[in-house]
Amino acid sequence: MAMDESVVVPGIALGADWVDDVLLAGPAADVCLRLPEVIDRGKLRTLVQQRQKELAQAGFRAGGAVALRLPPSVAFVTHLLAVWRSGGQAILLDHRLTDYEVRRAIERLVPQVVVSADRPVPAGLRTFHDVGADLASYSGHPANTAHAVVQLSSGSTGPSKVIGRTAEDLVEEINRYTRIDGVPTKNERLILLPSMVHVLGLVGGLLYCLHAGVELVPPARLTGDAIVHAIAAETTPATVLGVPFHIGLLASVQQPPWLPQFKRMTTGGELVPQAVSDAFEQKYGVPLGNMYGMTEVGVIGTDLFGRHRPAIRPAPGIDVRVVDGELQIARKESPYLGLSDPARWSDGWLRTRDAGVVDPETGLVSIKGRLDSQVSVGGLKVDLTEVEYTLGTLRGVEAAVVVFDGSITAYLQLHERRETTRLEAELSQRLASYKRPRTLHVLDQLPRTTTGKLVRDLTVLRKAVS
Amino acid sequence: MTTQPPPGRAEIIDWLAGLGQRPPGTERIDSMELAWLVHQVEQRYGVELPDEQLERMTTIDAAVAVLAEVLPSHV
Repeated sequence: MAMDESVVVPGIALGADWVDDVLLAGPAADVCLRLPEVIDRGKLRTLVQQRQKELAQAGFRAGGAVALRLPPSVAFVTHLLAVWRSGGQAILLDHRLTDYEVRRAIERLVPQVVVSADRPVPAGLRTFHDVGADLASYSGHPANTAHAVVQLSSGSTGPSKVIGRTAEDLVEEINRYTRIDGVPTKNERLILLPSMVHVLGLVGGLLYCLHAGVELVPPARLTGDAIVHAIAAETTPATVLGVPFHIGLLASVQQPPWLPQFKRMTTGGELVPQAVSDAFEQKYGVPLGNMYGMTEVGVIGTDLFGRHRPAIRPAPGIDVRVVDGELQIARKESPYLGLSDPARWSDGWLRTRDAGVVDPETGLVSIKGRLDSQVSVGGLKVDLTEVEYTLGTLRGVEAAVVVFDGSITAYLQLHERRETTRLEAELSQRLASYKRPRTLHVLDQLPRTTTGKLVRDLTVLRKAVS
Repeated sequence: MTTQPPPGRAEIIDWLAGLGQRPPGTERIDSMELAWLVHQVEQRYGVELPDEQLERMTTIDAAVAVLAEVLPSHV
Protein backbone atom coordinates (compact mmCIF):
# COMPACT_ATOMS: atom_id res chain seq x y z
CA MET A 1 0.00 0.00 0.00
CA ALA A 2 1.66 3.21 -1.13
CA MET A 3 1.96 5.88 1.52
CA ASP A 4 2.13 8.75 -0.97
CA GLU A 5 0.29 12.04 -0.83
CA SER A 6 -2.78 10.80 -2.72
CA VAL A 7 -6.04 11.46 -0.93
CA VAL A 8 -7.54 8.37 0.62
CA VAL A 9 -10.48 8.41 2.96
CA PRO A 10 -9.31 5.71 5.33
CA GLY A 11 -11.75 3.10 6.50
CA ILE A 12 -14.22 4.14 3.83
CA ALA A 13 -12.45 4.30 0.46
CA LEU A 14 -10.45 1.24 1.48
CA GLY A 15 -13.67 -0.42 2.64
CA ALA A 16 -13.83 -4.17 2.37
CA ASP A 17 -10.67 -4.41 0.29
CA TRP A 18 -8.02 -3.86 2.92
CA VAL A 19 -9.58 -6.35 5.32
CA ASP A 20 -9.78 -9.03 2.61
CA ASP A 21 -6.41 -8.24 1.03
CA VAL A 22 -4.33 -7.73 4.15
CA LEU A 23 -6.04 -9.82 6.84
CA LEU A 24 -8.40 -12.46 5.49
CA ALA A 25 -6.67 -13.62 2.30
CA GLY A 26 -5.30 -17.15 2.13
CA PRO A 27 -6.35 -20.82 1.93
CA ALA A 28 -9.61 -21.60 3.76
CA ALA A 29 -7.98 -24.43 5.74
CA ASP A 30 -5.24 -22.23 7.26
CA VAL A 31 -5.53 -22.12 11.04
CA CYS A 32 -6.05 -18.58 12.39
CA LEU A 33 -6.93 -19.24 16.04
CA ARG A 34 -6.39 -22.18 18.40
CA LEU A 35 -8.68 -21.77 21.42
CA PRO A 36 -7.95 -24.78 21.56
CA GLU A 37 -10.80 -25.46 19.09
CA VAL A 38 -9.56 -24.40 15.72
CA ILE A 39 -10.91 -21.46 13.74
CA ASP A 40 -9.59 -21.54 10.21
CA ARG A 41 -9.63 -18.79 7.63
CA GLY A 42 -12.74 -20.13 5.89
CA LYS A 43 -14.69 -20.21 9.16
CA LEU A 44 -13.45 -16.76 10.11
CA ARG A 45 -14.57 -15.29 6.77
CA THR A 46 -18.02 -16.83 7.20
CA LEU A 47 -18.35 -15.51 10.76
CA VAL A 48 -17.27 -12.02 9.72
CA GLN A 49 -19.91 -11.93 6.97
CA GLN A 50 -22.59 -13.01 9.47
CA ARG A 51 -21.51 -10.25 11.87
CA GLN A 52 -21.72 -7.70 9.03
CA LYS A 53 -25.36 -8.65 8.42
CA GLU A 54 -26.22 -8.47 12.13
CA LEU A 55 -24.54 -5.08 12.52
CA ALA A 56 -26.41 -3.75 9.48
CA GLN A 57 -29.70 -4.96 10.97
CA ALA A 58 -28.85 -3.08 14.17
CA GLY A 59 -28.47 0.16 12.20
CA PHE A 60 -24.77 0.29 11.37
CA ARG A 61 -23.90 1.83 7.99
CA ALA A 62 -20.62 2.45 6.11
CA GLY A 63 -19.00 5.55 7.56
CA GLY A 64 -20.59 4.94 10.94
CA ALA A 65 -18.97 3.85 14.17
CA VAL A 66 -19.46 0.76 16.32
CA ALA A 67 -18.28 0.60 19.93
CA LEU A 68 -16.91 -2.81 20.96
CA ARG A 69 -17.11 -3.33 24.70
CA LEU A 70 -15.92 -6.91 24.57
CA PRO A 71 -13.17 -8.92 26.22
CA PRO A 72 -10.73 -10.76 23.93
CA SER A 73 -13.01 -13.35 22.30
CA VAL A 74 -14.16 -14.67 18.94
CA ALA A 75 -16.99 -12.13 19.31
CA PHE A 76 -14.41 -9.34 19.52
CA VAL A 77 -12.34 -10.54 16.56
CA THR A 78 -15.31 -11.13 14.24
CA HIS A 79 -17.14 -7.89 15.10
CA LEU A 80 -13.95 -5.86 14.70
CA LEU A 81 -13.26 -7.29 11.24
CA ALA A 82 -16.94 -6.95 10.31
CA VAL A 83 -16.98 -3.25 11.20
CA TRP A 84 -13.90 -2.63 9.08
CA ARG A 85 -15.10 -4.80 6.22
CA SER A 86 -18.29 -2.73 6.11
CA GLY A 87 -16.27 0.49 5.93
CA GLY A 88 -16.81 1.63 9.49
CA GLN A 89 -14.98 2.81 12.55
CA ALA A 90 -14.40 0.53 15.55
CA ILE A 91 -14.25 2.17 18.98
CA LEU A 92 -12.42 -0.19 21.33
CA LEU A 93 -13.56 -0.04 24.95
CA ASP A 94 -11.74 -2.26 27.43
CA HIS A 95 -14.36 -4.49 29.06
CA ARG A 96 -12.95 -3.55 32.47
CA LEU A 97 -14.01 0.10 32.07
CA THR A 98 -16.89 1.12 34.33
CA ASP A 99 -20.38 1.98 33.01
CA TYR A 100 -19.56 5.60 33.85
CA GLU A 101 -16.42 5.59 31.69
CA VAL A 102 -18.24 3.82 28.85
CA ARG A 103 -21.17 6.26 28.96
CA ARG A 104 -18.82 9.22 28.66
CA ALA A 105 -17.04 7.59 25.72
CA ILE A 106 -20.32 6.87 23.93
CA GLU A 107 -21.57 10.43 24.41
CA ARG A 108 -18.36 11.71 22.92
CA LEU A 109 -17.89 9.30 20.03
CA VAL A 110 -21.54 8.69 18.94
CA PRO A 111 -21.46 5.09 17.73
CA GLN A 112 -24.43 3.72 15.79
CA VAL A 113 -24.19 0.37 17.57
CA VAL A 114 -22.66 -0.72 20.86
CA VAL A 115 -21.63 -4.37 21.08
CA SER A 116 -21.30 -5.81 24.62
CA ALA A 117 -20.77 -9.27 26.07
CA ASP A 118 -24.04 -11.16 26.57
CA ARG A 119 -23.03 -12.29 30.05
CA PRO A 120 -20.82 -11.04 32.88
CA VAL A 121 -17.13 -11.49 32.12
CA PRO A 122 -15.44 -13.31 35.02
CA ALA A 123 -12.56 -11.46 36.64
CA GLY A 124 -10.34 -14.58 36.71
CA LEU A 125 -7.23 -15.34 34.71
CA ARG A 126 -8.64 -16.16 31.29
CA THR A 127 -6.88 -14.51 28.37
CA PHE A 128 -9.68 -15.32 25.96
CA HIS A 129 -13.39 -15.51 26.76
CA ASP A 130 -16.31 -17.53 25.52
CA VAL A 131 -18.96 -14.83 25.25
CA GLY A 132 -21.70 -13.97 22.81
CA ALA A 133 -22.59 -10.44 21.74
CA ASP A 134 -25.49 -8.13 22.58
CA LEU A 135 -26.05 -5.39 20.00
CA ALA A 136 -27.64 -2.10 21.08
CA SER A 137 -28.66 0.54 18.52
CA TYR A 138 -27.80 4.18 19.14
CA SER A 139 -28.34 7.48 17.31
CA GLY A 140 -27.43 6.88 13.72
CA HIS A 141 -25.17 9.62 12.48
CA PRO A 142 -21.83 8.94 10.75
CA ALA A 143 -18.56 8.73 12.68
CA ASN A 144 -16.92 12.00 13.64
CA THR A 145 -13.73 11.07 11.83
CA ALA A 146 -12.45 8.71 9.17
CA HIS A 147 -10.28 6.65 11.52
CA ALA A 148 -10.65 2.86 11.36
CA VAL A 149 -9.95 2.37 15.04
CA VAL A 150 -10.48 4.66 17.99
CA GLN A 151 -8.98 3.90 21.39
CA LEU A 152 -9.13 5.63 24.74
CA SER A 153 -5.95 6.29 26.64
CA SER A 154 -5.78 7.44 30.22
CA GLY A 155 -5.62 11.21 29.87
CA SER A 156 -3.41 13.80 31.49
CA THR A 157 -6.07 16.49 31.41
CA GLY A 158 -8.54 14.48 33.43
CA PRO A 159 -10.87 12.54 31.18
CA SER A 160 -9.47 9.94 28.82
CA LYS A 161 -7.80 11.14 25.65
CA VAL A 162 -9.02 9.73 22.37
CA ILE A 163 -6.61 8.27 19.82
CA GLY A 164 -7.54 7.44 16.25
CA ARG A 165 -5.68 5.41 13.66
CA THR A 166 -6.53 5.08 9.99
CA ALA A 167 -6.70 1.79 8.10
CA GLU A 168 -3.59 2.86 6.20
CA ASP A 169 -1.74 3.46 9.42
CA LEU A 170 -2.68 0.00 10.71
CA VAL A 171 -1.61 -1.60 7.44
CA GLU A 172 1.64 0.32 7.58
CA GLU A 173 2.27 -1.02 11.09
CA ILE A 174 1.50 -4.58 9.98
CA ASN A 175 4.02 -4.14 7.17
CA ARG A 176 6.51 -2.76 9.67
CA TYR A 177 6.23 -5.98 11.66
CA THR A 178 6.87 -8.07 8.54
CA ARG A 179 10.17 -6.25 8.08
CA ILE A 180 11.43 -6.83 11.64
CA ASP A 181 13.89 -9.70 11.93
CA GLY A 182 12.81 -12.20 14.57
CA VAL A 183 8.99 -11.98 14.39
CA PRO A 184 7.09 -15.28 13.94
CA THR A 185 6.55 -16.36 10.35
CA LYS A 186 4.00 -18.38 8.39
CA ASN A 187 2.72 -21.59 10.04
CA GLU A 188 4.43 -20.73 13.32
CA ARG A 189 2.46 -19.92 16.48
CA LEU A 190 2.14 -16.82 18.64
CA ILE A 191 1.18 -17.46 22.27
CA LEU A 192 -0.65 -14.21 22.99
CA LEU A 193 -0.77 -13.01 26.60
CA PRO A 194 -1.70 -9.29 26.44
CA SER A 195 -5.24 -8.20 25.62
CA MET A 196 -5.96 -7.86 21.90
CA VAL A 197 -8.09 -4.82 22.72
CA HIS A 198 -4.87 -2.83 23.22
CA VAL A 199 -2.25 -1.96 20.63
CA LEU A 200 0.41 -4.62 21.34
CA GLY A 201 -2.05 -7.53 21.33
CA LEU A 202 -4.19 -5.98 18.60
CA VAL A 203 -1.61 -5.21 15.91
CA GLY A 204 1.44 -7.19 17.08
CA GLY A 205 -0.85 -10.12 17.89
CA LEU A 206 -4.15 -10.38 16.06
CA LEU A 207 -3.63 -8.32 12.89
CA TYR A 208 -0.03 -9.32 12.22
CA CYS A 209 -0.84 -13.02 12.72
CA LEU A 210 -3.85 -12.89 10.38
CA HIS A 211 -1.70 -11.15 7.79
CA ALA A 212 1.34 -13.40 8.07
CA GLY A 213 -0.47 -16.73 8.47
CA VAL A 214 0.74 -17.19 12.04
CA GLU A 215 -1.53 -19.21 14.36
CA LEU A 216 -2.77 -17.17 17.29
CA VAL A 217 -2.89 -19.14 20.54
CA PRO A 218 -4.26 -17.61 23.73
CA PRO A 219 -3.29 -19.87 26.68
CA ALA A 220 -6.14 -21.22 28.81
CA ARG A 221 -5.12 -19.02 31.71
CA LEU A 222 -2.48 -16.53 32.71
CA THR A 223 -0.30 -18.84 34.78
CA GLY A 224 3.17 -20.24 34.12
CA ASP A 225 1.90 -23.79 33.69
CA ALA A 226 -0.81 -22.76 31.23
CA ILE A 227 1.68 -20.81 29.11
CA VAL A 228 4.12 -23.75 29.08
CA HIS A 229 1.23 -26.06 28.19
CA ALA A 230 0.26 -23.81 25.26
CA ILE A 231 3.85 -23.84 23.94
CA ALA A 232 4.07 -27.63 24.30
CA ALA A 233 0.67 -28.33 22.71
CA GLU A 234 2.06 -28.36 19.13
CA THR A 235 5.45 -29.03 17.60
CA THR A 236 5.49 -25.91 15.42
CA PRO A 237 7.73 -23.03 16.55
CA ALA A 238 6.15 -20.81 19.20
CA THR A 239 6.85 -17.22 20.16
CA VAL A 240 5.40 -15.86 23.40
CA LEU A 241 4.22 -12.24 23.33
CA GLY A 242 3.63 -10.68 26.72
CA VAL A 243 4.45 -7.94 29.18
CA PRO A 244 7.27 -8.02 31.75
CA PHE A 245 5.07 -9.63 34.45
CA HIS A 246 4.79 -12.72 32.25
CA ILE A 247 8.58 -13.16 32.16
CA GLY A 248 8.44 -13.53 35.95
CA LEU A 249 5.69 -16.16 35.61
CA LEU A 250 7.71 -18.25 33.17
CA ALA A 251 10.99 -17.73 35.03
CA SER A 252 9.45 -19.20 38.19
CA VAL A 253 7.94 -22.34 36.64
CA GLN A 254 9.53 -25.30 38.45
CA GLN A 255 11.10 -27.84 36.12
CA PRO A 256 9.45 -26.92 32.84
CA PRO A 257 9.50 -29.70 30.21
CA TRP A 258 11.99 -29.62 27.35
CA LEU A 259 10.48 -27.19 24.83
CA PRO A 260 12.44 -27.41 21.56
CA GLN A 261 9.62 -25.53 19.78
CA PHE A 262 9.92 -22.48 22.07
CA LYS A 263 11.59 -19.89 19.90
CA ARG A 264 11.48 -16.56 21.66
CA MET A 265 9.70 -14.47 24.26
CA THR A 266 9.01 -10.85 23.42
CA THR A 267 7.61 -8.28 25.80
CA GLY A 268 6.44 -4.72 25.42
CA GLY A 269 6.66 -2.23 28.23
CA GLU A 270 9.17 -1.43 30.92
CA LEU A 271 12.34 -3.44 31.41
CA VAL A 272 12.56 -6.27 33.90
CA PRO A 273 15.38 -6.54 36.46
CA GLN A 274 18.49 -8.26 35.10
CA ALA A 275 18.06 -11.14 37.60
CA VAL A 276 14.62 -11.98 36.17
CA SER A 277 15.76 -11.90 32.54
CA ASP A 278 18.83 -14.00 33.42
CA ALA A 279 16.64 -16.56 35.25
CA PHE A 280 14.34 -16.74 32.23
CA GLU A 281 17.14 -17.16 29.69
CA GLN A 282 18.87 -19.82 31.79
CA LYS A 283 15.68 -21.78 32.24
CA TYR A 284 14.51 -21.80 28.62
CA GLY A 285 17.62 -20.99 26.59
CA VAL A 286 15.69 -18.77 24.17
CA PRO A 287 16.14 -15.07 23.39
CA LEU A 288 14.19 -12.53 25.40
CA GLY A 289 13.16 -9.73 23.08
CA ASN A 290 11.95 -6.27 23.95
CA MET A 291 9.61 -3.93 22.10
CA TYR A 292 8.76 -0.29 22.55
CA GLY A 293 5.61 1.32 21.25
CA MET A 294 2.56 3.37 22.09
CA THR A 295 -1.15 3.38 21.31
CA GLU A 296 -0.73 6.41 19.02
CA VAL A 297 1.85 4.73 16.73
CA GLY A 298 2.02 1.02 17.45
CA VAL A 299 5.47 -0.55 17.41
CA ILE A 300 8.27 2.04 17.38
CA GLY A 301 11.39 -0.03 18.02
CA THR A 302 12.51 -3.52 18.93
CA ASP A 303 15.38 -5.59 20.25
CA LEU A 304 14.05 -9.07 19.53
CA PHE A 305 17.37 -10.83 20.10
CA GLY A 306 18.15 -9.12 23.40
CA ARG A 307 21.43 -7.86 21.92
CA HIS A 308 21.02 -4.17 22.63
CA ARG A 309 19.30 -4.31 26.01
CA PRO A 310 18.16 -1.88 27.29
CA ALA A 311 18.28 -0.02 23.94
CA ILE A 312 16.03 -0.68 20.94
CA ARG A 313 16.42 -0.17 17.19
CA PRO A 314 13.74 1.96 15.50
CA ALA A 315 11.46 -0.23 13.40
CA PRO A 316 11.73 0.06 9.59
CA GLY A 317 10.05 3.26 8.43
CA ILE A 318 10.08 4.91 11.87
CA ASP A 319 11.94 8.21 12.19
CA VAL A 320 12.85 9.44 15.65
CA ARG A 321 14.52 12.50 17.10
CA VAL A 322 15.22 13.84 20.57
CA VAL A 323 14.28 17.40 21.43
CA ASP A 324 15.12 18.75 24.90
CA GLY A 325 15.60 15.20 26.11
CA GLU A 326 12.19 14.02 24.87
CA LEU A 327 11.83 11.30 22.24
CA GLN A 328 9.69 12.34 19.26
CA ILE A 329 8.32 10.21 16.42
CA ALA A 330 7.62 11.43 12.87
CA ARG A 331 3.86 11.27 12.20
CA LYS A 332 2.21 13.06 9.32
CA GLU A 333 -1.04 13.59 11.18
CA SER A 334 -2.00 14.13 14.78
CA PRO A 335 -3.46 10.90 16.22
CA TYR A 336 -5.69 12.76 18.67
CA LEU A 337 -9.39 13.34 18.13
CA GLY A 338 -11.07 16.52 19.11
CA LEU A 339 -8.05 18.44 20.24
CA SER A 340 -5.08 20.04 18.56
CA ASP A 341 -2.64 20.33 21.40
CA PRO A 342 0.76 21.39 20.06
CA ALA A 343 2.29 20.05 23.25
CA ARG A 344 1.39 16.55 22.00
CA TRP A 345 1.82 16.80 18.24
CA SER A 346 3.04 19.56 15.97
CA ASP A 347 4.63 19.95 12.53
CA GLY A 348 4.72 16.25 11.85
CA TRP A 349 6.26 15.16 15.14
CA LEU A 350 4.56 13.29 17.95
CA ARG A 351 5.86 13.91 21.44
CA THR A 352 6.15 10.62 23.30
CA ARG A 353 6.60 12.14 26.80
CA ASP A 354 9.35 9.59 27.22
CA ALA A 355 12.85 10.77 27.99
CA GLY A 356 15.14 9.26 25.36
CA VAL A 357 18.66 9.23 23.95
CA VAL A 358 19.57 8.35 20.36
CA ASP A 359 23.10 7.04 19.82
CA PRO A 360 24.42 9.07 16.86
CA GLU A 361 26.66 6.22 15.67
CA THR A 362 24.38 3.21 15.88
CA GLY A 363 20.95 4.88 15.78
CA LEU A 364 19.92 2.83 18.83
CA VAL A 365 17.38 4.44 21.15
CA SER A 366 17.45 4.26 24.95
CA ILE A 367 14.31 5.11 26.89
CA LYS A 368 14.99 6.81 30.19
CA GLY A 369 11.53 6.95 31.76
CA ARG A 370 8.42 9.12 31.68
CA LEU A 371 8.44 12.91 31.60
CA ASP A 372 4.84 13.12 32.81
CA SER A 373 2.51 11.41 35.24
CA GLN A 374 1.80 8.26 33.23
CA VAL A 375 2.56 4.91 34.86
CA SER A 376 2.22 1.33 33.71
CA VAL A 377 0.10 -1.12 35.68
CA GLY A 378 0.56 -4.63 34.32
CA GLY A 379 1.22 -3.20 30.86
CA LEU A 380 -1.83 -0.90 30.94
CA LYS A 381 -1.13 2.82 30.92
CA VAL A 382 -2.60 4.93 33.67
CA ASP A 383 -2.24 8.68 33.89
CA LEU A 384 -2.18 9.65 37.56
CA THR A 385 -3.77 12.98 36.64
CA GLU A 386 -6.92 11.15 35.53
CA VAL A 387 -7.06 9.38 38.89
CA GLU A 388 -6.57 12.69 40.73
CA TYR A 389 -9.22 14.39 38.62
CA THR A 390 -11.73 11.62 39.26
CA LEU A 391 -11.06 11.61 43.01
CA GLY A 392 -11.69 15.37 42.92
CA THR A 393 -15.19 14.79 41.49
CA LEU A 394 -16.25 12.73 44.54
CA ARG A 395 -18.41 14.43 47.18
CA GLY A 396 -16.44 15.72 50.14
CA VAL A 397 -13.02 15.73 48.46
CA GLU A 398 -11.24 19.05 48.88
CA ALA A 399 -7.96 18.08 47.19
CA ALA A 400 -6.19 14.93 46.03
CA VAL A 401 -2.60 13.98 45.24
CA VAL A 402 -1.98 10.66 43.49
CA VAL A 403 1.53 9.25 43.24
CA PHE A 404 3.17 5.99 42.21
CA ASP A 405 4.88 4.47 45.21
CA GLY A 406 5.37 0.96 43.85
CA SER A 407 1.61 1.06 43.28
CA ILE A 408 -0.96 3.83 42.81
CA THR A 409 -1.35 5.67 46.12
CA ALA A 410 -3.77 8.52 46.84
CA TYR A 411 -3.62 11.22 49.51
CA LEU A 412 -6.86 13.09 50.18
CA GLN A 413 -8.00 16.14 52.04
CA LEU A 414 -11.74 16.23 52.77
CA HIS A 415 -14.10 19.07 53.58
CA GLU A 416 -16.74 16.80 55.03
CA ARG A 417 -16.51 13.58 56.96
CA ARG A 418 -16.51 10.53 54.63
CA GLU A 419 -15.69 6.89 55.21
CA THR A 420 -12.74 5.66 53.14
CA THR A 421 -14.65 2.52 52.17
CA ARG A 422 -17.50 4.72 50.88
CA LEU A 423 -15.08 6.81 48.81
CA GLU A 424 -13.49 3.63 47.43
CA ALA A 425 -16.90 2.28 46.50
CA GLU A 426 -17.83 5.51 44.66
CA LEU A 427 -14.49 5.53 42.87
CA SER A 428 -15.08 1.95 41.71
CA GLN A 429 -18.14 3.25 39.82
CA ARG A 430 -16.01 5.77 37.93
CA LEU A 431 -12.60 4.22 37.31
CA ALA A 432 -11.62 0.82 35.93
CA SER A 433 -10.02 -1.36 38.61
CA TYR A 434 -6.49 -1.13 37.23
CA LYS A 435 -6.63 2.68 37.50
CA ARG A 436 -7.75 2.74 41.13
CA PRO A 437 -5.37 3.53 44.01
CA ARG A 438 -4.24 0.53 46.03
CA THR A 439 -4.12 2.76 49.10
CA LEU A 440 -6.16 5.85 50.08
CA HIS A 441 -4.75 8.05 52.84
CA VAL A 442 -6.99 10.75 54.30
CA LEU A 443 -5.03 13.62 55.83
CA ASP A 444 -6.26 16.67 57.78
CA GLN A 445 -4.11 18.82 55.54
CA LEU A 446 -2.24 17.79 52.39
CA PRO A 447 1.37 18.99 52.45
CA ARG A 448 1.72 22.22 50.47
CA THR A 449 4.59 24.48 49.45
CA THR A 450 4.84 27.98 50.89
CA THR A 451 3.04 29.22 47.78
CA GLY A 452 0.18 26.81 48.41
CA LYS A 453 0.96 24.20 45.73
CA LEU A 454 0.36 20.55 46.54
CA VAL A 455 3.54 18.63 47.33
CA ARG A 456 4.08 15.40 45.37
CA ASP A 457 7.33 14.32 46.94
CA LEU A 458 7.01 10.70 48.14
CA THR A 459 9.09 11.18 51.28
CA VAL A 460 7.06 14.19 52.39
CA LEU A 461 3.76 12.43 51.69
CA ARG A 462 4.77 9.24 53.51
CA LYS A 463 5.88 11.31 56.50
CA ALA A 464 2.56 13.18 56.55
CA VAL A 465 0.77 9.86 57.08
CA SER A 466 2.94 8.70 59.96
CA MET B 1 4.06 -32.03 46.73
CA THR B 2 0.47 -31.75 48.01
CA THR B 3 1.13 -32.85 51.58
CA GLN B 4 2.09 -29.40 52.82
CA PRO B 5 -0.60 -27.40 54.65
CA PRO B 6 -2.42 -24.54 52.91
CA PRO B 7 -0.62 -21.17 53.13
CA GLY B 8 -1.41 -18.73 55.95
CA ARG B 9 -1.52 -14.93 55.82
CA ALA B 10 2.20 -14.45 56.36
CA GLU B 11 3.07 -16.89 53.61
CA ILE B 12 0.73 -15.25 51.11
CA ILE B 13 2.14 -11.81 51.93
CA ASP B 14 5.58 -13.31 51.43
CA TRP B 15 4.64 -14.69 47.99
CA LEU B 16 3.17 -11.35 46.94
CA ALA B 17 6.39 -9.63 48.00
CA GLY B 18 8.11 -11.72 45.31
CA LEU B 19 6.17 -9.71 42.75
CA GLY B 20 7.69 -6.43 43.88
CA GLN B 21 7.09 -3.57 46.20
CA ARG B 22 3.72 -3.68 47.95
CA PRO B 23 2.36 -0.97 50.24
CA PRO B 24 2.32 -2.37 53.79
CA GLY B 25 -1.15 -2.95 55.17
CA THR B 26 -2.78 -3.33 51.73
CA GLU B 27 -5.59 -5.87 51.96
CA ARG B 28 -7.04 -5.77 48.45
CA ILE B 29 -5.49 -8.12 45.90
CA ASP B 30 -5.30 -6.68 42.39
CA SER B 31 -5.56 -8.70 39.19
CA MET B 32 -1.82 -9.08 38.68
CA GLU B 33 -1.34 -10.20 42.28
CA LEU B 34 -4.16 -12.69 41.84
CA ALA B 35 -2.43 -14.12 38.77
CA TRP B 36 0.82 -14.38 40.72
CA LEU B 37 -0.89 -16.03 43.68
CA VAL B 38 -2.64 -18.63 41.52
CA HIS B 39 0.64 -19.29 39.71
CA GLN B 40 2.36 -19.84 43.09
CA VAL B 41 -0.35 -22.30 44.15
CA GLU B 42 0.07 -24.20 40.87
CA GLN B 43 3.83 -24.34 41.30
CA ARG B 44 3.83 -25.31 44.99
CA TYR B 45 0.75 -27.52 45.26
CA GLY B 46 0.23 -28.69 41.69
CA VAL B 47 -3.42 -27.62 41.97
CA GLU B 48 -5.38 -25.61 39.41
CA LEU B 49 -7.89 -23.30 41.09
CA PRO B 50 -11.31 -23.05 39.41
CA ASP B 51 -12.64 -19.66 38.21
CA GLU B 52 -15.39 -19.38 40.80
CA GLN B 53 -12.80 -19.66 43.58
CA LEU B 54 -10.64 -16.97 41.98
CA GLU B 55 -13.56 -14.55 41.97
CA ARG B 56 -13.67 -14.77 45.77
CA MET B 57 -9.97 -14.08 46.33
CA THR B 58 -10.28 -10.30 46.53
CA THR B 59 -8.37 -9.72 49.80
CA ILE B 60 -5.55 -11.49 51.61
CA ASP B 61 -7.92 -12.95 54.23
CA ALA B 62 -10.32 -14.11 51.52
CA ALA B 63 -7.41 -15.79 49.71
CA VAL B 64 -6.37 -17.56 52.94
CA ALA B 65 -9.97 -18.78 53.41
CA VAL B 66 -10.36 -19.98 49.81
CA LEU B 67 -7.03 -21.81 49.82
CA ALA B 68 -7.82 -23.43 53.18
CA GLU B 69 -11.03 -24.74 51.62
CA VAL B 70 -9.64 -25.85 48.28
CA LEU B 71 -6.20 -27.26 49.02
CA PRO B 72 -6.87 -29.97 51.65
CA SER B 73 -9.42 -31.59 49.36
CA HIS B 74 -6.61 -32.28 46.91
CA VAL B 75 -4.27 -33.96 49.41
